[in-house]
Amino acid sequence: MHARFVPLFRSLLFAVSIFSVSAQAEIVHTPVTDAMLLDAAKSADNWIMVGRDYAGTRFSPLTKINTGNVKKLVPVWSFSFGTLDAQNTTPLIVDGVMYVTAAHAKIFAVDAKTGTQLWQYSHPLPDEVGKFMCCDLGNRGAALYKDKVIFATPDSHVIALDRATGKESWKVSLADWKKAYTMTVAPIVVKGKVIVGMSGAEYPTRLWIEALDAETGTQAWRTYTIPGPGEPGFDTWGITDADAWKFGGGSAWITGSYDAELDTIYWGVGNPNPDWDGSNRKGDNLYTNATLALNPDTGVIKFYYQYTPWDVWDYDGNNEPILADVNGKKVWLHGDRNGFLYKIDRTNGKFVWGKEISKVNWATGFTPEGRPIVNPEKVVNNEKKVMDVCPASEGGKWWNPMSYSPATKMVYVPSREICAHLKGGASERVEGKYNLGLEEAEWIKGYGQLVAMDAETGEKKWTVKAPSPFTSGVLTTAGGLVFAGTPEGIFFAYDAKTGKELWSYQTGSGMVGSPVAFAIEGKQYIAVPSGWGGWTGWATWGGKGGAPHLKDNRKGGYVTVFALFDK
Amino acid sequence: MKRILFALFCLIALSGGAGNVDTGPAGGPLVDPFPGDPQAIENGAKLFKRVSCHGCHGGNARGGTGPDLTDDEWLRAPGDEMIFNVIKNGRPGTMMSPFRDDLTDEQIWYLVNYIRDLGRKRKAEGG
Repeated sequence: MHARFVPLFRSLLFAVSIFSVSAQAEIVHTPVTDAMLLDAAKSADNWIMVGRDYAGTRFSPLTKINTGNVKKLVPVWSFSFGTLDAQNTTPLIVDGVMYVTAAHAKIFAVDAKTGTQLWQYSHPLPDEVGKFMCCDLGNRGAALYKDKVIFATPDSHVIALDRATGKESWKVSLADWKKAYTMTVAPIVVKGKVIVGMSGAEYPTRLWIEALDAETGTQAWRTYTIPGPGEPGFDTWGITDADAWKFGGGSAWITGSYDAELDTIYWGVGNPNPDWDGSNRKGDNLYTNATLALNPDTGVIKFYYQYTPWDVWDYDGNNEPILADVNGKKVWLHGDRNGFLYKIDRTNGKFVWGKEISKVNWATGFTPEGRPIVNPEKVVNNEKKVMDVCPASEGGKWWNPMSYSPATKMVYVPSREICAHLKGGASERVEGKYNLGLEEAEWIKGYGQLVAMDAETGEKKWTVKAPSPFTSGVLTTAGGLVFAGTPEGIFFAYDAKTGKELWSYQTGSGMVGSPVAFAIEGKQYIAVPSGWGGWTGWATWGGKGGAPHLKDNRKGGYVTVFALFDK
Repeated sequence: MKRILFALFCLIALSGGAGNVDTGPAGGPLVDPFPGDPQAIENGAKLFKRVSCHGCHGGNARGGTGPDLTDDEWLRAPGDEMIFNVIKNGRPGTMMSPFRDDLTDEQIWYLVNYIRDLGRKRKAEGG
């Protein structure tokens, strides 16, 4: 460099460094305390756990974006994850910083006002891990606790990073991914423990829910979702196969909820293995397709409610329990893949009601105790193809989380009307290999719907139909809005009271993640991930499927953030 | 254990004396040793299910979570050698895992032939 330019260069460098320091100084990685987690519902500006609050409502109290002005919503920044496949995440935001996971074991910290990356972390995945996962290399989000952000990886690691730097604080391996013990779950932190659950019930596995010390990653407890010898429920796995329980699946990949007053965690358990062949596991197959009520200190099961005993439809009851207080009653609301929306007393697990979200013909109703009355004509078996089973395995309501608005007392369910022809098949138990017990599957072309249901009665208040199922999670706000997205990548806003479409935006790729709302310096934002992937066989299987127009649907990997146009 | 042993027996039987196939000169392009061979196609069909290819690509390879392996777009673009290499080595950064530890070269060629046969049949059907 010429000598006379050196002072100028130094001045510029100084100015740039001052600017950088001042820009950096605005970024504060506020420690997330237990008190903040307990009061998350009241913290309007932040979204500090995937369900927004321990009840899992996905309801934001923010009102600046509302039914009167949502048509002025415009994108203010977008952020590429630099990776494709299922972007199943829910972004987290605390005091202006977004922490967002992506497919392929990636996580980013981003300035939530500008979209500027603060750091990124990528956990190197083994090349082979994909063949031990049924449904893509996605991730459903992270958890925040004190100075750490914590997430799980497909190869069954749980990793805690320093939120300011992205450097590893601790990293633990929970299981052997080569035997298909894998992870996609978003953790939740309860009383200083990181709670996670395992994936892998399409393979011969025995899965569990686990608590880790948030400071060290040390195991605090592990609760198997399938009872062992001598435990209650062990005798529900039939008598023809003595090892059925050892390999019976029971995944737990959807984040649960927590009631601090009852000091109880509620966590869903998925399908038994083999999925469709129930011939060697005749019985209720506890605790598959159930929500467990757990002691957060010990993991001991207090009680449960089972949605689909002896599941031969792959109804996979993992789905989230939303804790709601409806007319003074403490209940959980659960939309199941079996087609019913459930209301369950969360003080004791007793059934209140089950109402159809979509067409249901596998069951004809419920006993007074809440046991489904199974239609024998629609029981999947290995001898004969059963035609027109409703709903197909994905529901009803698939895994994408619904939202409960305490403002309208309604629950908003992303749904579909798709049925299937199914024939079970002999299964072969080899660890690390698919064991579906399925001979034939043919999804029947259907359509999507977003359904608003009254939390008191279960009555349908409105339904919006769409060419494809709503595959994003749902966000509701005190601004009277419901946000939901589609496989085509269209992000919609509806009037929460009427279902009237108020706004839409093409995000660029199909949506299988969940939108959130947050505010910085008094300005409200809406953020949503997009990036098509996951188990999409229901759409195009065999060149036909439930939504064949989604063949070769575009992949992607972004988060897009919106605010009101204010120029 | 009996089932596991049975599965291993089937895999060995399907390999049909693996290791003696001629797939071209050393260092040269790979050549399908069984082009259109009905037995290779039949073996490939069994492997397609046994190795769980159908779990992603669908029961008749017409797509599921993974792509349709029988449509024109897929069949015109890659050559046999590319299909062989993708099965053997996977596609890093995607769900497509390497199957080199699960399958012999001969078994991979069976799969290539099965996929090609499905494509030919589909084309003949006009689909």
